[in-house]
Amino acid sequence: MKKLITLNINGQDFDLAVSPRDLLVDVIRKKVGLTGTKKGCGQGDCGACTVLMDGHPVLSCITLAVASQGKKIQTIEGLSEGEKLHPIQESFVEQGAVQCGYCTPGMILSAKALLDRNPDPSEEEIKQGIAGNLCRCTGYKKIVKAISAAAEKLGGKEEERVR
Amino acid sequence: MKDFAVVGKSLPRVDAPAKVRGEALYTDDLLLPHMVYGKIKRSPHAHAVIKKIRYDKALELPGVLAVITGDDAPQAYGIVPQAPTEYALAVGKVRYAGEGVAAVAAVDEETAEEALERIEVEYEVLPAVFDPVEALERQDVVIHAKAKNNMMYEGKQEFGDVDKAMAEADFVLERSFKTSYVNHAFLEPHSALAHFEANGFLTVYSSTQIPHYLHRTLSLVLDLPMNKIRVSVPMVGGGFGGKGEVASSELCAALLAQRTGHPVKVTYERSEVFAQHKGRHPCVMTMKIGVSQDGTIQAIDFDNILDGGAYGGWGIVVLFYTAAMIHLPYQVPNARFRGRRVYTNKPTTGAMRGLGGVQPRFAMESMLEDIAKELGMSPYDLRLKNAVESGYTTKSNVYVPHSEFKKCLQTAVERSGYREKQGKLPLGKGIGLAGGYYISGTAYTLYMSYKPHSSALIRVDTEGGIILYTGATDIGQGSNTVLPMIAAEELGVRADDIHIVSGDTQLTPFDLGSFASRVTYGAGQAVRMAAQGINKQLYEVAAVELGVRADQLICREGKIYSQYEPGPVLDFMAAVAKYIDAKGPLSAMGHYSPPRKGMKGVQGANIGQSPTFGFSAQVTEVDVDLETGKVKVLKVTEAGDCGQPINPMSVEGQVEGSIVMGMGQALFEEIKVSPDGRLLNASLHDYKIPTAVDIPEIDSTIVDSYDPTAPFGAKESGEGPIQPVIPAIANAICDAIGVRFLELPITPEKILQALKEKKER
Amino acid sequence: MFLPEFEYFAPETLEEALGLLERYGEKAKILAGGTDLLVMMKDKLLKPEVLIDISKLIELQGIQYVPEQGLTLGAATKIDEVQHSLSIQKNWRALAQAAGELGSAQVRSMATLGGNSCHASPAAETPPALVALGAKVSLACPGGEREILLENFILGNRKTALQGGEILTRFFLPEPSPRSASVYLYHALRGAMEIDMLNVAVYLALAPDLRSCQEVRIALGAVSPVPLRAEKSEVILTGSKMENSVIEAAGRLASAQASPISDLRATAQHRREVVEVLVRRALTQAYEVARAGKEVKG
Repeated sequence: MKKLITLNINGQDFDLAVSPRDLLVDVIRKKVGLTGTKKGCGQGDCGACTVLMDGHPVLSCITLAVASQGKKIQTIEGLSEGEKLHPIQESFVEQGAVQCGYCTPGMILSAKALLDRNPDPSEEEIKQGIAGNLCRCTGYKKIVKAISAAAEKLGGKEEERVR
Repeated sequence: MKDFAVVGKSLPRVDAPAKVRGEALYTDDLLLPHMVYGKIKRSPHAHAVIKKIRYDKALELPGVLAVITGDDAPQAYGIVPQAPTEYALAVGKVRYAGEGVAAVAAVDEETAEEALERIEVEYEVLPAVFDPVEALERQDVVIHAKAKNNMMYEGKQEFGDVDKAMAEADFVLERSFKTSYVNHAFLEPHSALAHFEANGFLTVYSSTQIPHYLHRTLSLVLDLPMNKIRVSVPMVGGGFGGKGEVASSELCAALLAQRTGHPVKVTYERSEVFAQHKGRHPCVMTMKIGVSQDGTIQAIDFDNILDGGAYGGWGIVVLFYTAAMIHLPYQVPNARFRGRRVYTNKPTTGAMRGLGGVQPRFAMESMLEDIAKELGMSPYDLRLKNAVESGYTTKSNVYVPHSEFKKCLQTAVERSGYREKQGKLPLGKGIGLAGGYYISGTAYTLYMSYKPHSSALIRVDTEGGIILYTGATDIGQGSNTVLPMIAAEELGVRADDIHIVSGDTQLTPFDLGSFASRVTYGAGQAVRMAAQGINKQLYEVAAVELGVRADQLICREGKIYSQYEPGPVLDFMAAVAKYIDAKGPLSAMGHYSPPRKGMKGVQGANIGQSPTFGFSAQVTEVDVDLETGKVKVLKVTEAGDCGQPINPMSVEGQVEGSIVMGMGQALFEEIKVSPDGRLLNASLHDYKIPTAVDIPEIDSTIVDSYDPTAPFGAKESGEGPIQPVIPAIANAICDAIGVRFLELPITPEKILQALKEKKER
Repeated sequence: MFLPEFEYFAPETLEEALGLLERYGEKAKILAGGTDLLVMMKDKLLKPEVLIDISKLIELQGIQYVPEQGLTLGAATKIDEVQHSLSIQKNWRALAQAAGELGSAQVRSMATLGGNSCHASPAAETPPALVALGAKVSLACPGGEREILLENFILGNRKTALQGGEILTRFFLPEPSPRSASVYLYHALRGAMEIDMLNVAVYLALAPDLRSCQEVRIALGAVSPVPLRAEKSEVILTGSKMENSVIEAAGRLASAQASPISDLRATAQHRREVVEVLVRRALTQAYEVARAGKEVKG
């Protein structure tokens, strides 16, 4: 039995008919059509499907769409403002933190969740913050550098969010 | 260093903005009208005859459009076309657990998955074998009828007189090594979308490194002429060799599209990526090295048994690469090789970053360290003494036009303080050195052909600007950034003035694919030649306009002028407009064919030939917890000779990625197989690749280098830097705790065991 | 990989949830963070017909400190809340450490403290820390509520004391002694995203002399089907001076008491060897921390 639900994604409400079994990642990718959220393992191990839910990073491949109602969901497509990249996105481009790019959306969202909570993280805290996002291309070094550079750009200006 | 305008600049990747916005489209992101989904039913048995497949119940499920089995495509194929062993789906029997036996097309993935459960397969289970050494002995297990003793291929080479040299050597060391069963673990699972137009023309979008070989294989298996097929490559989420062979997802998508009349997409689950596999060959190696008292290498004798898994794949090629790898980066006057690639009932091994090099490099660099200690020499001095230089020809007739390997060794050693630390650190802390090299492309195609390995087309007009068409495929390594930089340097324009169209068998000129570290060097030459062709034509018209001889003109930053005297300047695009007005459309093609070298009468001697080579040296520092056995890699100091880096930031990315990937293989990664042949850790949960918290500090240097045979001096950088990683770690562990590890991965458990044995001795 | 079909309920009160559980009985599973349950369902290891999502139950939320008594944690408290709670970092540090080592940032923002115990995986991170800290759990059923020690709650690999119709609602951690410290250590291949080969949690309270052990609880993870109390180690430590020889003996006894299995991640032998090391290190660290604080103050 399909249920009619409303998901708030990147500030926009989407009315969607879903089955209880439908996973958030599939609904975002197939029903909403935002394919920036990637599927790398389907088991919550790689982090490619990371989205933010009320600011917290969650694995959309092991999250039920029906359970995501009433939350503010942010995907990678909701990060830039029009043509202008978010400082984290900008730093990823500038620092060479992107190779194949498949881990990139999830990685950037994990970085955002981290910087929102901790605007001035140490290198170790950055590594811990993205430990759930696997990358096989970069060896992580330039990713850590990019997040560090983004933190500097943001200069703690972003609203600090502590649970 | 040469004076370049574009080359040598760390420009951001051209596709990075789209990737950070989530707008880059990978195959699984594509949708076509009326598209349906395919899924593959897989065998639970490692070795079994398929007695019967019943799928009526699957077809009865609403939403199921078609079911196919191996009998629907009984044409065997293989990346090495002389020895085809594989099928789209198993024909007659399965040879590993996880092999595809049937495929379903349905209106959605959920239905397709449910349909798989309704397919009944009757098997007659056969005895199976999972260890290559055992497989050679097991008469009761016949994996392929043609392969006696399960030996797919045996290769032998001998150069010089090894027995004599060993007898005369002052010191001879012999050791046996074993490497593990590892997977590429790229992030994007294989995905393919196939679509037949009404006129019978097939388009396949696929996450592949080898559009050309996929094109050939689709033609063979579907029995369609190649000119009725187009392969197009969207963004690729990493390959590392794992997408360097045709996958059954691609063939099943095409077969199901043919059967249903709908576009069909097949995207693998992670467990299927492990079943498709084609990862690194586990090797059982025995190596013997003879040296003279002063540390000069006199001879190497190398025996290698390669675990091939169930099918052929790149097997023969990998086998002979392991043979080639002992001839460099040190001078080896006498060498003998015996290699056997053996079938076992496991997912097939194949090409993985630095193929054929990583395993023998582990053995050889570990042994050189021990030999140096035995001779009372610094391992650094021993390596330096034997290191090859530009212009060297190996005993196997491989010519090395250019090498800065000594500079790599010197740089890594100096920057790390190796000489001050080696042998002097406290128990539990260690430092290790290793060197390595890799090819920059191959001398031959996988099938007999004289055609250029790479071609490129540049089209310039006043509407579309400068468009570069190349068959080279960007799989994340960055060729779509680097090739336009090469074109821009030659044309004298900015890199972002160039649009690139790549990786499409219909739209772009021919290229063999992204493997063997061949793209920057080979496709780079083709691109440069095409750009030179544009300049030649354009300057003739510009010369008239400027009143300067054409052969005196150059172009920099989009302005054409005389390179010898100040004078008038003509804008590049204005010159293009003049040219087109006067002569019509402006385009030029370039192509590249490597020198065809080899050695007549020597088995496999064409393999390992390359137009040039990249070199690398690494010094690694580790901390070993003596009580828990846990190894922490603290720092890797790397120095690499990739020639002139076209884009240094991209080179660094390749180096850093290689180091972390190699570290995973050294310490964590290993696919484990149950006694009945099932993979026990076919997930990213239990197959452990390094995370961000595991990485060492990395200090990498691109040594000053310029290969005159290369496009703007550039050589490979994607596969060389992984070569020294494992032995440098092993050597550092040996320095830390005095134990030489001969098997990978070096886990805490093995460390504790070894420490205990050492104590007992 | 898709989930099997099921019916989904997201009750808003505990009473409603208990009602649903009573109605569907064995057919139903409680969905908390889903990081274990949904993965097992995808793998078709579990096929519940009904999922009761407890994330909306106010009764199961929140961390509350009652001075002189201890800490109450709702079963649906997210692991990252536990990890980042200043109060837990200060007074129940082993739990904050264990929470910080569970999965990844994403997993920690999804998974719940209750789920980690109810899943009853022998390698779980938080149960050994909770056991060492003397945690009790409250189990609600339509008729009322009962409270038992966590170590009596986890009965075996994926087995708990939950009876039909019961829901784990709260954890209670007693106020630690003023001269105490707790430490959590683990042994794994990678530095993150791990299923531990083994883990160890220690709670140590010193006597007023700040040299001898007044009370100690040691819980070992992944060396037995349940978080194992190293009782023999505890006995020799209690009342003894915290000298190296005693700490070492405690490590050896813990190792002897462990009954690990060999699996994909480690052999029993390796687990037994390393558990001795980790117990010793955890005791040493706890002793240092418990003393250090006092010396600074005093």
